[in-house]
Amino acid sequence: MNRLFVLTLFMVGVLLSGVKSGEAGGSLFRLGYLEHTGAALCRIAQLKGEYAQEGLKVELVRFSDSRSGLAALEQGTIHAGAFEVGEGLKAIAGGKGFRIIAGGGIPTATGPLAELDDRVQQRLDLSGIVILIPATGGAGEKETLTRLTAALVRAYRSSRAEPELLRSKSVGTDQPIIHFDPYPDYYRLERLWKRLDLHSSTFPPDFLANHVYEEIYCDALDRLLDSAPDDNVYKELSGKAVCVPDCCPKNKKQ
Amino acid sequence: MKSIVAVFLLLSLLATASLAADLPKLRVGYIPEPAHGLYFVARDKGYFKEEGVDVELFQFGSAAEGMAALKAEKLDVGTFGTTAPLLFISKGSEFTFIGGIMIGGQAIITRPERLAELSGHDLKVYKGKKIGLVKLSTGDVVFKGALKKAGIDYKKDITFVEFGTAAAVVEAVKKGAVDAGLVWPPHFSLAEKNQGLKVAHYIEEFYPKYTCCRIVAPTAKVNADKETYRRFLAALIRAYRFYKTNENETVAIYTKSLKIDEDIIRNETYVKRVAESNPDPLRKGILEFWQHILDAGYIPNDYPIDKHINIDIYKQALDSVVKKNPKDKIYQEMLAFYKKNN
Repeated sequence: MNRLFVLTLFMVGVLLSGVKSGEAGGSLFRLGYLEHTGAALCRIAQLKGEYAQEGLKVELVRFSDSRSGLAALEQGTIHAGAFEVGEGLKAIAGGKGFRIIAGGGIPTATGPLAELDDRVQQRLDLSGIVILIPATGGAGEKETLTRLTAALVRAYRSSRAEPELLRSKSVGTDQPIIHFDPYPDYYRLERLWKRLDLHSSTFPPDFLANHVYEEIYCDALDRLLDSAPDDNVYKELSGKAVCVPDCCPKNKKQ
Repeated sequence: MKSIVAVFLLLSLLATASLAADLPKLRVGYIPEPAHGLYFVARDKGYFKEEGVDVELFQFGSAAEGMAALKAEKLDVGTFGTTAPLLFISKGSEFTFIGGIMIGGQAIITRPERLAELSGHDLKVYKGKKIGLVKLSTGDVVFKGALKKAGIDYKKDITFVEFGTAAAVVEAVKKGAVDAGLVWPPHFSLAEKNQGLKVAHYIEEFYPKYTCCRIVAPTAKVNADKETYRRFLAALIRAYRFYKTNENETVAIYTKSLKIDEDIIRNETYVKRVAESNPDPLRKGILEFWQHILDAGYIPNDYPIDKHINIDIYKQALDSVVKKNPKDKIYQEMLAFYKKNN
């Protein structure tokens, strides 16, 4: 009887471990990133095993400039990429069809010149990092992207708990201070869009909104908050995000 | 003789089927809230068909999914709260509010031992308290609106704790992590029934007739076919009359359609009257709601929301129903209500 019990437990264990490794061992997700401190969350997520925690197998692909990264995204050699927001928005306005699903690091101007001249910060804003995906995805796209975004949010949480992680992933020696925020923030992107004067009269009024997929970030954050409702970092991020509220009762007798 | 009657009946049935097939179609999205029940009344009592519109109802599990379906033109019209359509419109989506489905409905729950402390009809009882809510839910927005109207600086005097779902708010109240929580139907009824919590206040007590779920449709579709939307609203106006005058049958229709306990539906709809199923667009209420969102600092930019509210179609629908029933007291009350709120 005892042997049967142990054997059953062993079989259940084998089955469960198979399910888990199957989830983590699905098809490879190629995530491009710019060699830029603002893209550090992508590398921290790999270092801390956050992708695997979310059941994703991610290969990081390094790019030295945003244009070549966006070209790879368009060609389909990478599935998503962490590139400069200014270049990303220009590509969207140019009809590339990319969508922004998350934010990253935004350089912050410091020093006396920054205080005197707003244009310094404006230029830095455009070099902030966002996560872009191609125009359309296949079946299961939303779930994969939600997991990817959740991994980046978890990386952000790790970076808050261990600031040395960010220092270890910084690029160059004389970098401005980087403010990290995984929230894509449509309204911030709209301000940059207007500043770059990218809106064309031929675009519909919701053209930019159609290229900012905030629902992914909101779903990822909801999921993380559900698993850790008292987590201060997740609560802080939730407080900043503008998400469509959950509205609905379960449709069953209760 | 029997065969002649049978042929006549068959022809009548075929004619009816043919008429229904010719009616303009509307795909309508809704979320399973008891106060959204006018759709089921209009369907089950045959008002949609009588008014000349063939309605197909689609239930959604979240407002975000419903709005996405509306944006993708998989729906012709839908009710997904007030915040969700306002957020979409403020980002450039071409939607128009044409009516409503629910007024009121939000409640503040607490533990039984805290009830006395929060009693009375003065919002000052919430000063210094920690209140759980779902950010940007109707309860969040209108409660803050009510506090502002009462002259309370809620950013200074009250601590709000945000949760992802109404269920999480209920759990936090139960555990004592917050002093009270803002939730919507049927969550507060379920919290009372299953968790032993108590409703301290309905927000309606402080903010009468505030807007909840609105009927919204793609602007291009509305402009292209106003008559079909008028017929749709006329059917809902007649459903409203039925709901006001046929309690038992309405409860049965809501219960069957929503699969929520009958006692909860009866209690919310007719005993405590925590929410009203009402198709009025409440233009003034939508604009106030938007202002409360801006005041709370949730959205940085104002937007010309009024351009996205069409009250004329509802008025034409109401006029058409009144014309057929000029002395009906309920329709006259709806007319007066429309004039006051639009």
